[in-house]
Amino acid sequence: MFNLSSFVQKAQSAAQQLIDPMQGLNLTNSDRNPSKASLFQSQFRLPASQTPLYEIPAELTIPPSNITQGDKDRDRGWHYAGKLHLSDSYICFSTTATSFVQSASTSSSAAFTGQTHGGGPSGNGFTFPLCAIRRVERLNSQTFQFALAITTWNGITQELAKDKDVQRDKKDFREQRITIHLAASRPACERFCDGLKRGLRGAVGNVGRYKKVIADCYSEYLLRPEEMKNVNPPDAGLGMVFRYPGDPKKLRDRAKMRLWAEYLRDNGRNATLIRQPTFHKLIRVGLPNRLRGEMWELTSGSLYLRLENPTLYVDTLAKFEGRESLAIDEIEKDLNRSLPEYPGFQAEDGISRLRRVLTAYSWVNPEVGYCQAMNIVVAALLIYMSETQAFFLLSALCDRLVPGYYSSTMYGTLLDQKVFESLVEKTMPILWEHLVKSDVQLSVVSLPWFLSLYINSMPLVFAFRVLDVFFVEGPKVLFQVGLAILRINGEDLLDASDDGAFISVLKSYFSRLDESAHPKSENPKLRAINRFQELMVVAFKEFSAITHSSIQDLRMKNKDAVLNNIENFAKRTAIRNLGPESKLLSADELSSLYDRFYTVLYERQQRDSIIQEEQIRRAKASRARGAETFTEHRDHGIEKGRVGLGPSTSLMDYDAFREFLASVSKWAISDTQPSPRRDPSSEKDRNGYFGSFRRAESNPLSPWGGGPEPADHEFMQRLFRRWDVDSSSTLTLQNVVTGLAHIKGKRDIMGTITYFFELYDDDGDGRVDREGILRISEALLFISRRGLEGSLSPSNSSVTLDGMTEGDKGSASPPIGGTVNERFLGSVSAFIRRCFEYADPDHPSNQHVMSIERSSSPGVADTDIPAADNSAFAIGDDEEEEEEDLLAFEDATDNLKTTKKKPDLGSVPPAIGKPDAEEGRKRAVSKAQSEKANVALDPSNPLHITLPTFRMVVLADELLEQFFESSFPASLHIIDGLPNASSQYTSALTTFSNMGFGRSAAGSLPVSQPGIAGAGRGLRGVLDNLVTDASRVAAEVRRRMEEAQRELEKNALPGQRDDDEEEEEDIQGPIKTSGGYGGDAERRSVLSTDRDLLDGADADAGAGKANEGSRQSMLLDPNVPQGRTSTSSSATQRIVEFES
Amino acid sequence: MADANAPKPSSSVKLVLLGEAAVGKSSLVLRFVNNDFQENKEPTIGAAFLTQKCNLPTRTIKFEIWDTAGQERFASLAPMYYRNAQAALVVYDLTKPTSLIKAKHWVAELQRQASPGIVIALVGNKLDLTGEGGAGQDGSEGAEGEEAGDARKITTEEAQSYAEEEGLLFFETSAKTGHNVTEVFTAIANAIPETSLKSTRGAGASSMANRGGDEQRVNLNGPREAAKEGCAC
Repeated sequence: MFNLSSFVQKAQSAAQQLIDPMQGLNLTNSDRNPSKASLFQSQFRLPASQTPLYEIPAELTIPPSNITQGDKDRDRGWHYAGKLHLSDSYICFSTTATSFVQSASTSSSAAFTGQTHGGGPSGNGFTFPLCAIRRVERLNSQTFQFALAITTWNGITQELAKDKDVQRDKKDFREQRITIHLAASRPACERFCDGLKRGLRGAVGNVGRYKKVIADCYSEYLLRPEEMKNVNPPDAGLGMVFRYPGDPKKLRDRAKMRLWAEYLRDNGRNATLIRQPTFHKLIRVGLPNRLRGEMWELTSGSLYLRLENPTLYVDTLAKFEGRESLAIDEIEKDLNRSLPEYPGFQAEDGISRLRRVLTAYSWVNPEVGYCQAMNIVVAALLIYMSETQAFFLLSALCDRLVPGYYSSTMYGTLLDQKVFESLVEKTMPILWEHLVKSDVQLSVVSLPWFLSLYINSMPLVFAFRVLDVFFVEGPKVLFQVGLAILRINGEDLLDASDDGAFISVLKSYFSRLDESAHPKSENPKLRAINRFQELMVVAFKEFSAITHSSIQDLRMKNKDAVLNNIENFAKRTAIRNLGPESKLLSADELSSLYDRFYTVLYERQQRDSIIQEEQIRRAKASRARGAETFTEHRDHGIEKGRVGLGPSTSLMDYDAFREFLASVSKWAISDTQPSPRRDPSSEKDRNGYFGSFRRAESNPLSPWGGGPEPADHEFMQRLFRRWDVDSSSTLTLQNVVTGLAHIKGKRDIMGTITYFFELYDDDGDGRVDREGILRISEALLFISRRGLEGSLSPSNSSVTLDGMTEGDKGSASPPIGGTVNERFLGSVSAFIRRCFEYADPDHPSNQHVMSIERSSSPGVADTDIPAADNSAFAIGDDEEEEEEDLLAFEDATDNLKTTKKKPDLGSVPPAIGKPDAEEGRKRAVSKAQSEKANVALDPSNPLHITLPTFRMVVLADELLEQFFESSFPASLHIIDGLPNASSQYTSALTTFSNMGFGRSAAGSLPVSQPGIAGAGRGLRGVLDNLVTDASRVAAEVRRRMEEAQRELEKNALPGQRDDDEEEEEDIQGPIKTSGGYGGDAERRSVLSTDRDLLDGADADAGAGKANEGSRQSMLLDPNVPQGRTSTSSSATQRIVEFES
Repeated sequence: MADANAPKPSSSVKLVLLGEAAVGKSSLVLRFVNNDFQENKEPTIGAAFLTQKCNLPTRTIKFEIWDTAGQERFASLAPMYYRNAQAALVVYDLTKPTSLIKAKHWVAELQRQASPGIVIALVGNKLDLTGEGGAGQDGSEGAEGEEAGDARKITTEEAQSYAEEEGLLFFETSAKTGHNVTEVFTAIANAIPETSLKSTRGAGASSMANRGGDEQRVNLNGPREAAKEGCAC
């Protein structure tokens, strides 16, 4: 704890829980065998940073106290046999049976036989922080024994230590010195001592902190010599100002205080206290007011949390000062409702203390935040302790003592109610039967008992006495007291026949707790016993069989049922509360969607924690330690993230989204080899929007668990961004439902087409540019590469074939899938072609004036650039390039990647759509130049398609139409999911290259395509070459553009310049683009053949559906001239703008 | 007690209050039970339990009221309280649109999960903030939307039409002024079918025995329960 690294770690995790949140419940997969560390921590109430290093049988000898117990009989002091434990910064001794199998090796003794089950410091012994130890001596008086004498800092405060004279003068001051005989083999003893030595050395630096922390303990003041009590006593809660509840005389507070002072003087105070039987007795009779806070802090272990990070409370308040949260709003509502009868909470002082403690905790543990009932508990704590102490005690409560009680699902509360019910059933079968028969739900009554630790149910004085024991002995006390209440009121309860009557009986009982339990008894002693005392006796005598471990067993038994209940409720509610879009999906779909969503999140968290554990384990293993080193054996099955436990996240990041998609659609599963179609620009996307999701690739364990590795395609990124409506980089269930509802819910082809178009319309201006068109086609190929699903008609002609009526079942391969899929490739290439053919020229750089221009000025300049030419030459260009570069293709793409990165690095913030804008600007530049040079056909002539164009192009092709109509929506299998066999999908990709389209395609093509048969092998071959792979087409176009751009840049100015600068320079400077011209000339030369090609291609694609072809051209006509006018006008405008 | 001299049959009805936090559930109950309005001094952990009688011409209804905690995370406890309930008051704050959404969620939950035939009343509380309920219990209704400085965010029509759609009783109330509060409970009492009264809790049959218990219960539950006004209907 006190070494530097963990110190830093602590500081970093200040906003995390102080104790492992699951530790208290041990609700892990290895439930029956809770980890040794967690048992150790529970038994001695130590922070989660402490792991047991060594344990050794030992005998503790406490010397006789020279002042009060000076008689001869006790000269030899007290002896306790037990076990001595050493952790990183604590040395602990307990007489209660140790929690571990005796014979097991220390490193593997996860199994456990003891009685304590980490039940708390119930035995005799001590828990010393190593920094509280002043000196350890090895006693060599007897050679056959191995003995240590431990001297603590007990009683030596800072001033005392400084003022040595005072100390020496004090006759009655006595160092706390205890002797421990180690009862083990010599080597074992030596090892233990070595460990102790190391620990002590590490702890030296923390002595100062220790002294500061214990200075807040009231015992330090209490035990001061009278003449030094001039200083103010430490804060022992609101009670010091507003009086403590109850009548001090009746509570015999003074007598108790005297007894405690004596005990503390003899046995050490606060951190150096030694637990002897008297200690437990003193606690059972009720703590004195001013020591109550300190004892709660000590027995609950929250003192050790405070010792670990003393300034956490103050720091947290400072850090979050002025911040607002839902929890704070909720806290504010309850401040005036927390123990309102107590004067301290009628005053601003008390209210603001309460506010600060609750607020600080809500920041430190945002998963819990604030839960009603915490206000009552904290209010009670604040009567007896300072804010800081209450803050840490609240941590200890929420994380260990009543785990899950206040969580967002309150699973701990519900679980313990089930446990309580089963205990009632077991111990009071008649009452239980009556409850069942009269349909009374016990938890209606008992839930508030547990949730507010009886503070809200009993009169405060009595509730605090329950708490006194509860903090030492743990949650079993709540059950014992609850059972005792029912037992004592059994008769009356058997008469009660409904909830109301039941509640009344108990209410009246609580209000008479101070009355005599035996008012009619002759015996005055018996008469003096009040009902509360009777309750305590019944609780701890009659129900002594209720132990920590029996509670734990019952918790395990009921855990699943309770969590399932909560999860069902949460699911029901969540689904019902989804927005109106959810109505588009069926109930089954929503249900599976919900399950899938949380399954992905849950499994990812599980994997993360396992990976983390693995890393911790490795780190630990690499640290050389003795043979007896405990390897930290944390439970791997920490079920964090399970909905019933209060999901630690309900947000899906991009990686989780990919995993989610991969579970419902086969196209989202990655090809085993990295996809060749991977978009080069995704590299930079990742650095920006998606950069934060990237985890280190060095993870030894698969980050995808047993599932298939999801693909990472630009299309998925776009989908994610589209669904992420509030740009939070995460998706909620609502986002996912809404997103899917738009795709799957409507079953409306126009809607789907629009949706797809909008995915690629980055700036929402209703246009998709060249880049976008290529990306759309890439996405189409990406989605279809494992075959299309949904209802696809086999032929372009309407009714030639019969078989394919309904493939809607989502079968992985439709009957004639192969051929359909092959044809789909053709459709996509036709799509690209048509897009370019019918695209409108565009000038993205001055889009803002576009609309005005469109209506006002008539075209001037480039009416001689037909849109068709642009596209024709874009594709023709590629085709030609293809032949040239076919072998060097890989290099080309590599070049592309590297060159593409360069211009972006300098100027482009990697936000959505920005790269395109950048390119647009570049294109605009080259456009300006080409126009100046009167070159009509520039490769980077910007163009775009609008939604109507896109729609038309899609509808022009029956397969594409079917894709949008059914195939794409059907490819998301929300309900049945995918058979979880990734290998199935890695092969059999339908891509151009896989099909071997280029060479022998004609033979394998279906006969039902008369166009191809007619056109013959040659034509088809050319076409196939043309689109050998859509990625190549895209890459080539881009490369061309890049090249042209680079040429321009090179020629415009020598040397490296920023893009921004270049833009302006380019326009004004002399433009000599020899490369560009050359390229253009070349391109022009192939233009005519390209045209032929396209004609052929058109015939090919459209042959089977002449009807549609004609419809399509009809549709087209009005669009084309309009596009042209707008282009020409805006072109002039743009030049003006650049020059001005 | 109000029914002490009446030979009318008495039966108890379990009623649960649900709704977003701070819409005034507890205040409504307090107004109904004690005819009082004040800061709720008793925090609602899980649920508060109160009883109040309501005299109808033909019978006496004893409401066993479960006033649930409004904090979101307590929602998963709600099934425990609405189990076997014969009536539910789903409360929203008519100055706070989100509270109506939450109320609709509760209505849906009850309709699907609670006992069939449960009588649900949708109650828009805090009418006083709209300047309409200021007239108090004797104030005339139908003066909606006239005042200026209206904090109302949910129109009567909107909530009313929703209530009609779902077959709910509908009221707008002010726990502060008491406007319409008893009317809600009376309407519920009237809406509960006679048959369900007899069958469900068996209170009618053993009314004498129960009455003794009631007496005791009232005393034990402190001053609040001891208010002898009864239901003002």
